[in-house]
Amino acid sequence: MTDGTAGPARRLEWQLAEVRDIVVETPRVKSLLTHVTGWRGHLPGQHVDIRLTAEDGYQAQRSYSIASPPEDELIELTVVQVDNGEVSAYLHGELRRGDRFELRGPIGGYFVWTTSSGGPLQLICAGSGVAPLMAMLRHRDRRAARGPALLLYSSRSLEEVIYREELETMARRDRDLRVVYTLTSKQPEGWTGYRRRIDQAMLAESCFPPEANPRSFVCGPTPFVESASRLLVELGHDPLSIKTERFGPTGG
Amino acid sequence: MSDNDCYVLDGNAAAGLLHEFFVVDVTTAHTRCGGCGATHVLGALRVYAVPMGAVLRCSSCQRILLRAVKTPHGRWLEMSGAQYLRF
Repeated sequence: MTDGTAGPARRLEWQLAEVRDIVVETPRVKSLLTHVTGWRGHLPGQHVDIRLTAEDGYQAQRSYSIASPPEDELIELTVVQVDNGEVSAYLHGELRRGDRFELRGPIGGYFVWTTSSGGPLQLICAGSGVAPLMAMLRHRDRRAARGPALLLYSSRSLEEVIYREELETMARRDRDLRVVYTLTSKQPEGWTGYRRRIDQAMLAESCFPPEANPRSFVCGPTPFVESASRLLVELGHDPLSIKTERFGPTGG
Repeated sequence: MSDNDCYVLDGNAAAGLLHEFFVVDVTTAHTRCGGCGATHVLGALRVYAVPMGAVLRCSSCQRILLRAVKTPHGRWLEMSGAQYLRF
């Protein structure tokens, strides 16, 4: 049994989540800090399904990664406002502190990492793909014994980097953590970092060598994930050591 | 994270749906493709999400391994393309 989920096997039930706080991360991204009564705990990288029901009975369901670590009491869901996205529009615009919505989870034992999984931890993401990886970094940050870790984060601009302040604070106090941004469309003045899409040279420079046997997690839009994971394999990383999560209506 | 109509996902994305069929999380189970013989963890398969459910394909040869759909007449799981699931 390789199932990594916590607790005994049980049917997945819909539960009520109550919004306790809303954090504005960037102009298009908010994090919902929610309380779920009887939450049985999760592993970093897992997701939840959210179900919204309209008055006429119409239901819409989406999946969101959990961005908070298992150590925290509140479940953090980071939501990007998508053009014409019925669920994200509601979660972004309508939901207030104290409101409730239906959620089920935690889901998925595959795209998970804990400090006991070993490392080094190699995280590669684009845009809001950082959310499940943030749960891993926050979990690692809560532990005294931390192995080496890398976050390579592709964002259009520095302003659109989610959790930026927290990532920088984390990296400042932790010499084993490297946070590398590549800003693909707009860079601040004097920017000396990467300014292009992830390519093989960037991965070769930034990533752990294959001999270090890193655990790689790649999360983002489908073309990003396919290209980054293919480049990692070309650099000699074991395909089985690379786990991917693509965005979509039932995923990320 | 997105509500775009983007349908090709990882097997991990089908975990919630498959939880309606299995009590345990099957995305960490291994499966062997009946076509090319490759073994994969379910979470690493290609998932094509459709409104009623999902189609899971072998990530080596694209053969359909599992089809999971919810209908008014019950939940259907068809897995003639896969040789086994190993937990």
